Amino acid sequence: MKKIYNEEENKFSKMLKDLKDLPKIKAPDNFEYNLSTRIQNKNFGTVNEREPQFNWIKFLAPSAAVVSVIILFFIFLPSSQENNNQLLQQSKLQDNQSAVNNSLSDKNKLNSQQSVPSDTKLQSNSTSLLGSNNPTTRPRALSPLNDSRSIKLDDYISGSNKNQSNTNRGNIVNNGEEPSPYDGFIVSEKPDKKTLDRYRAVVDSIKKAQLKADSLKKVQK
Amino acid sequence: MNKHLTEFSDEELIKEYQDNNTPEAYDILVKRYKDPLMNFVYRFVGDRDICTDVVQDTMIKFYLNKDSYRSFAKFSTWIYTIAGNLAKNELKRRRRRIIFSIDNGDDERSPQIEDKMFLAPDKAADGEIRNEIIQNALLKVKPVYREVVILRDIQDLSYEEISEITGLAIGTVKSRINRGRAQLQKLLKHIYRE
Repeated sequence: MKKIYNEEENKFSKMLKDLKDLPKIKAPDNFEYNLSTRIQNKNFGTVNEREPQFNWIKFLAPSAAVVSVIILFFIFLPSSQENNNQLLQQSKLQDNQSAVNNSLSDKNKLNSQQSVPSDTKLQSNSTSLLGSNNPTTRPRALSPLNDSRSIKLDDYISGSNKNQSNTNRGNIVNNGEEPSPYDGFIVSEKPDKKTLDRYRAVVDSIKKAQLKADSLKKVQK
Repeated sequence: MNKHLTEFSDEELIKEYQDNNTPEAYDILVKRYKDPLMNFVYRFVGDRDICTDVVQDTMIKFYLNKDSYRSFAKFSTWIYTIAGNLAKNELKRRRRRIIFSIDNGDDERSPQIEDKMFLAPDKAADGEIRNEIIQNALLKVKPVYREVVILRDIQDLSYEEISEITGLAIGTVKSRINRGRAQLQKLLKHIYRE
């Protein structure tokens, strides 16, 4: 090992000799005087200043801010999704209303087949009965959903609309006046039991009301 | 008393200064090391005024932090370490100043050695010019290599001492010295033609 370094030193021998022969730089004559003056005057300049150490507070303050922003982002993100869901819920509500209307119209048709003259009155009664509380009669708020393509709840329950295209199975977001040609975003969902039961209860209550109205009419006659 | 102190070794003097705060011990150490440190720092930074300031700061640091010296280390390596660190900081500061200065001329950025590099060999043989060329070439060597080359080939310190000063392993010191020498030789190829 020593040999290698000796060989290297031989390789640079001329240069090393010149480096050793470089004139020695000496301190100026007033070096010690200046030094003692600085010490007496306590003029230590930047020597006494320590290099800035790692400051935890300076590091933690911005990092805490960043972390809190991230946390807030995750807190408020679900709420924005909920807002979106409310829009969907509105469309679902409209679907329910149309389903109820369909079932009512079917029932009316059946009644009209049985007795035409009484039905006219009944219809007027039923409309008067329903008219006050029927949300379908109220002017609808503008919705981005196309009503003409609302699903039939009975078909939806029985699953008979399975073979239909997506556009006929559910609502499609309106693209201006024309329905959107693209329907790939509709996700087929299995009907929720609770909601179905709720809808059934609503339909049953309306049917009962109609029966009561019929019986009242008969009594009047 | 003073005569007696002058016979003390560096380590004995610093101990005397640490234990009894004897100003004479400090003065003797300053006298002993001001010139070697001036030579080392000048070869490293290449500016006499800056070099004087750096060595003054070294001595003040020694004055203020005498208790941070531990007796197991050699005083020479301790004071060289301080001077080396201050010199490196000064170089960094200068580089930063050069980067951020708007109307900075080229004279400030790099020493004007190119013209002298291509002098005729007979002129280059002239001692003073030759020394200047070597000094300017030395400043072009990377600081990590320059420091060890100066300590070894100009200050004549041992590998062990350089290892202590720089905090590097001896093997690293040797390889850095070798690379530094090779860089310097390359820069001075006009003088050292084989």
